[in-house]
Amino acid sequence: MSTIEARGLTKRFGSEVLAVDHLDFSVAPGVVTGFLGPNGAGKTTTLRMLVGLVSPTSGSILIDGLDYRHVLNPTMRVGAVLEASGFHPARSARNHLKVIATMAGIPFIRVDQCLELVGLSSDADRAVGGYSMGMRQRLELARALLGEPDILVLDEPANGLDPQGIAWLRDFLKGYAVEKDGRVVLVSSHLLSEAQLTVEEVVILNAGRLAAQGRLEDLLSGSTTAVRIRTPDAGRLVEALAAARLPATRDGDYVVCEGTTPAVVGPIIVDNRIEVHEMTSSTESLEALFFSLTGGEGMDVRHGTAVGESPQTAGRPPPAARPSPGEPDPGASPT
Amino acid sequence: MIRLLSAETRKLWTIWSTYVLFGIVVVVDLLFGFALAFAPGGRRGGTAGIVPHGSELWFANVFSVLGNSRLLALVLGVLIITGEYRHRTATPVFLAEPRRGRVVTAKLGIGFLGGIALGGLSMLAGLVLGLVLVALKVHSCLTFSGVQQGMAQAACRAHNGVYFVANTHDMWHQWSRIAPGIVLGTGLFVIYGVGLGALLKNQVVAIVTGLGFTLVVESIIGAIWPTIGEYLPGQAATALEDTKTTVGIGHAEQLPWWGGAVMLVIYGVVLTVVGTLTTIRSDVT
Repeated sequence: MSTIEARGLTKRFGSEVLAVDHLDFSVAPGVVTGFLGPNGAGKTTTLRMLVGLVSPTSGSILIDGLDYRHVLNPTMRVGAVLEASGFHPARSARNHLKVIATMAGIPFIRVDQCLELVGLSSDADRAVGGYSMGMRQRLELARALLGEPDILVLDEPANGLDPQGIAWLRDFLKGYAVEKDGRVVLVSSHLLSEAQLTVEEVVILNAGRLAAQGRLEDLLSGSTTAVRIRTPDAGRLVEALAAARLPATRDGDYVVCEGTTPAVVGPIIVDNRIEVHEMTSSTESLEALFFSLTGGEGMDVRHGTAVGESPQTAGRPPPAARPSPGEPDPGASPT
Repeated sequence: MIRLLSAETRKLWTIWSTYVLFGIVVVVDLLFGFALAFAPGGRRGGTAGIVPHGSELWFANVFSVLGNSRLLALVLGVLIITGEYRHRTATPVFLAEPRRGRVVTAKLGIGFLGGIALGGLSMLAGLVLGLVLVALKVHSCLTFSGVQQGMAQAACRAHNGVYFVANTHDMWHQWSRIAPGIVLGTGLFVIYGVGLGALLKNQVVAIVTGLGFTLVVESIIGAIWPTIGEYLPGQAATALEDTKTTVGIGHAEQLPWWGGAVMLVIYGVVLTVVGTLTTIRSDVT
């Protein structure tokens, strides 16, 4: 059983950029923990400080109380998937893993096992230069798993994976977290809907600071729900709901009633004998919670466009759509 | 440390660029060696035109080419360390061994051995070259009117000249005289390259700086201030190799062979230590 603990973790790049600002959080084993935040929130910098690649300006981030640089043979304790690069293009995947296995004193049979696990066995002797993004991502995961670490840290692991790959990774991470008395699995992501399916705990960053931490369920409870009904009799339904002190809005054939549940709306529909073709309810999503915590920066749910790109995102693939100065809409609830 | 050394060895031999570097050494040695062997009269300013083909001095001239392997050793040293940054393999490597100084130390060790191998290969190519020249019975005749390259023995005697023909004894004498120096110098030049790479981090900048300094800057300094020039890496290697050639313009002073070796070790280690404490220690983002 291992833990990760950050205390007053701060990283300043030059005098201008304060990437991480007095960050305190801890990650417990046994569940998948999501590490979320808008671009430039400091996720990658924090993860790189965790594994000793970047030195904190002040504060610490420790693995069972130890700095990564003092962990004995860290390959056996911590596996980190940081970027889908870091391969010599002329070296084969198998040789790449053998180099790392040699450094950690891991027998080569484990190299074959890891290649098999991520589905790269048949391509293992090809030069990595010819690999697709998804294959590189898998190879990174294979490398991180070489030492069967009880701490697994992944930075945007779904990047470049196809839908099957993402689904596979989700199940794998959930399984890995509960094996062997519980392992620490910390996964950063900008794909909130994917994260909602995968993670139980979240650590949410905004502008280098901790915005929220806890069980996703707890953070989402107490949130509003909305009911959306499709009916040919929309006008009468709005009136009926209004009579029951449930303000609703009409949107063509749809009626949307916020702050209620189907259990409340259902009897009103029956009492008024209104014909209904469809009724859906939505609880507040991680996405909505995320926007309310991060000041509305990120994706406009209804239009699916990114807003509020931070300047620190250079070098990352840009989002499919460029910013339109749309209104922040923290309460938007997709149905 | 043994794991790190073993991993560095594996890194070196699992990419084709290492084989290309070793191949280039052989090709360059044979190409330039033959060109020099049959160039009219050797290449040195003071003795141009009067080094008789087939003489022992002529073998010394031809074999001086073999020391060029140190330029490729410099490139090898630079590649060993800057390749990790260029291909971002520094990330997985420092994940597996966060004590970066140990990684660099392993690179120095394996780089040195790789350089020894490179120098050894160069000397092997030189031996082949020498044996071929012996087999070709390259000969000439030194008379009062000058050197007659390719003059047959009977004609030479008729001219009261001294007849030279390439023979195994002369060839072996010259080859064995310079071999240890070239092998050691090539090994030490990898360390020099690792140091440059550790300090400069950028592959292209480090290669251009290393080769430019060795081939251009050093010969200019050597020509203007010979007493400083003899302490520079290229001249130090020449002293160690005892090939008695100069790099480019002029004729520099020369350190004793061990002095050359000491200077090369100092360059390599000082550059590596400074590079490790500055560039290598900085954040890998």
